Amino acid sequence: MAQIPNLDNAPINLASLREQSQRELITILKNIRGKKCLVIDPNLSGSLSLIVQTAVLKEHGVELRHLSAEPLETECTKVVYLVRGQLDLMKHISLHIHDNASKGLQRECFLYFVPRRSVSCEQILKEEKVHDSLTIGEYPLYMVLMDEDVISFELECAYKECLVDSDTSSLWHIAKAIHKLESSFGLIPNVRAKGKASLRVADILERVQTEEPVNVSDVLPEISTLILLDREVDMVTPMCSQLTYEGLLDEVLHVNNGSVELDASIMGVQQEGRKVKVPLNSSDKLFKEIRDLNFEVVVQVLRQKATSMKQDYADITTTTQTVSELKDFVKKLNSLPEMTRHINLAQHLSTFTSKPSFLGRLDMEHTIVESESYDICFEYIEEMIHKQEPLISVLRLLVLLSVTNSGLPKKHYDYLRRELLHSYGFEHMATLNNLEKAGLFRKQEMRSNWLTVKRALHLVVEDTDTANPNDIAYVFSGYAPLSIRLIQQAIRSGWRPIEEILKLLPGPHSESKRGGLSRGSSFELLSGVSNNVDKAAVGRRSIVLVVFIGGVTFAEISALRFLSSQELAAYDIVVATTKVVNGQALLDPFVEKLT
Amino acid sequence: LLWRESWDYGKNPMASKGTPLHGPRIKLIEKARDLFAETKEQIFESKAAEEHAKLLRMQHELEVSTKQAIFVDSSISDTIRTCIVLGNHRAAMKVKTEFKVSEKRWYWLKVFALATIRDWDALEKF
Repeated sequence: MAQIPNLDNAPINLASLREQSQRELITILKNIRGKKCLVIDPNLSGSLSLIVQTAVLKEHGVELRHLSAEPLETECTKVVYLVRGQLDLMKHISLHIHDNASKGLQRECFLYFVPRRSVSCEQILKEEKVHDSLTIGEYPLYMVLMDEDVISFELECAYKECLVDSDTSSLWHIAKAIHKLESSFGLIPNVRAKGKASLRVADILERVQTEEPVNVSDVLPEISTLILLDREVDMVTPMCSQLTYEGLLDEVLHVNNGSVELDASIMGVQQEGRKVKVPLNSSDKLFKEIRDLNFEVVVQVLRQKATSMKQDYADITTTTQTVSELKDFVKKLNSLPEMTRHINLAQHLSTFTSKPSFLGRLDMEHTIVESESYDICFEYIEEMIHKQEPLISVLRLLVLLSVTNSGLPKKHYDYLRRELLHSYGFEHMATLNNLEKAGLFRKQEMRSNWLTVKRALHLVVEDTDTANPNDIAYVFSGYAPLSIRLIQQAIRSGWRPIEEILKLLPGPHSESKRGGLSRGSSFELLSGVSNNVDKAAVGRRSIVLVVFIGGVTFAEISALRFLSSQELAAYDIVVATTKVVNGQALLDPFVEKLT
Repeated sequence: LLWRESWDYGKNPMASKGTPLHGPRIKLIEKARDLFAETKEQIFESKAAEEHAKLLRMQHELEVSTKQAIFVDSSISDTIRTCIVLGNHRAAMKVKTEFKVSEKRWYWLKVFALATIRDWDALEKF
């Protein structure tokens, strides 16, 4: 199965966006005649694999390489570098060019920045005296389509960069990407934002609109509402362990660009030490059916399917069948590889979920979210540190505890910081400092309002039925993600009814209408509470674009899919994010690395 | 500004990891400690820097006495564990008292260390 997801069922024509990216890349390659060596930034290879197949690249005479500090080995006389604007990558390229010169190789070098040229990078190239020997261009890839309803801007460090390094260049990138969407699908009339970064993106978006306006009167806007949400507003959710199938796959195996890589033995192939790549997207029908379910249910569904298939098989062998019945049976058999694949994956996951340590951790997460028995949580974390459990998993719980209590009492804060330094080394002074700067682990300065928020938004739901869920809380077996509750409100009624609660969460909020008031108000009808007459009259569902600045988890995406699949929902949701993340990926950039 | 300066000092030695020049590195950390100590809010950082310098000194001594370069740049807990694994209980004890390691943490470390070397007898007694 192809790793490139099928986009035919997307609520808006995302396939055209991908074709555009594909075309732009091919044009770049076509303009350079003959055989060429394409050297890519290793961090881009995932994105590229979602845009174009390697076979297509080969057709255009491309030899593929990853960029590294090592000298380049190739027969080609033309070298094309495709990189993000990062300073260390410029150093590699300079090294290559100096290496060419010293070996007397005649190579023509092209450099394409993704998504745009960067002054500081070109400065480095000038300092290294290689700027003149390069032909420089841009490959404007602002977003990658992960699936029929998920867009990623591929900015994995955006969260940390904004909060710790005060580097807001990612916000410009996001606004530009949204603008690009608008030029395909029309100006989005309703904008709702929460959080500092979100408001800035909304601002930049306005500015870009005045500079290169999207024609308002041209087409009916396909997207009715844009919701911008900072990750900072809800750091509780990503710190919890995800319990949906896709979420759990990510927690355990790290889903990367819509696929996981794992030992072949797990997939039932007997080949020592070989890795296999398993694509995970909605082109796989079975996966589409079970990805958003709570993992407990997934196991049941798979078991049921297996049993029914066995039953069919028994029927075939014992009774005589008509040809058409046989045909049906063979059709069912076609889904067998998908079945085996997911049964293998699920089996692998359950070796983790059945561990007492996993269950203990879940229990602790729930205790913290419910804000009960602070002392027990504190002691649990203390013991984790003493046992020197992996730093990131300790930090996840610690951040959860700190955020829900708006910091820890000074005595505990200093004590745990000291224990952390003693157990993991003093270099983590920098880690602690990063976390403090981002407000993730800090000293308590005021009373926590988590309890108020939790109650007002009904975040903890008792008696969650994971098999037949009636609320988004099923994704965390009883905890409804704060971020999604906010979005639920924003879609249904805007911010006004929950203003008091929004004030308790970090960052300002805003709500605005664009593209002329008269137009705006008629769209309000579309985006408002479901209205059957309206729906029938217009004949299509309205579309909401939700942008997570700083990352979103699979569990949250599942919860959003759940919302739009509800009977009363008259909208489809498209999720855009700086990156699909989990707690570990989010905290990783904060950890000081000794290199 | 002062904070930033001391922070740079604190960071510097980490970047120069692996250099055999322990003398200058410890001096840098001590300078960071003094700078941190100048403002009231940074007491914690100052103390941490002081402990860091002390740890590096002890690790250096341990490396000299055991002739194994495995101590520097490991954490306090790791140092204690390594000592126990090597059977050097006295040194482990010394690190423990020097850094006021709590009994709770001490027990975990000892259990793990003894389990690593499969010293079940000692584990039983303890």
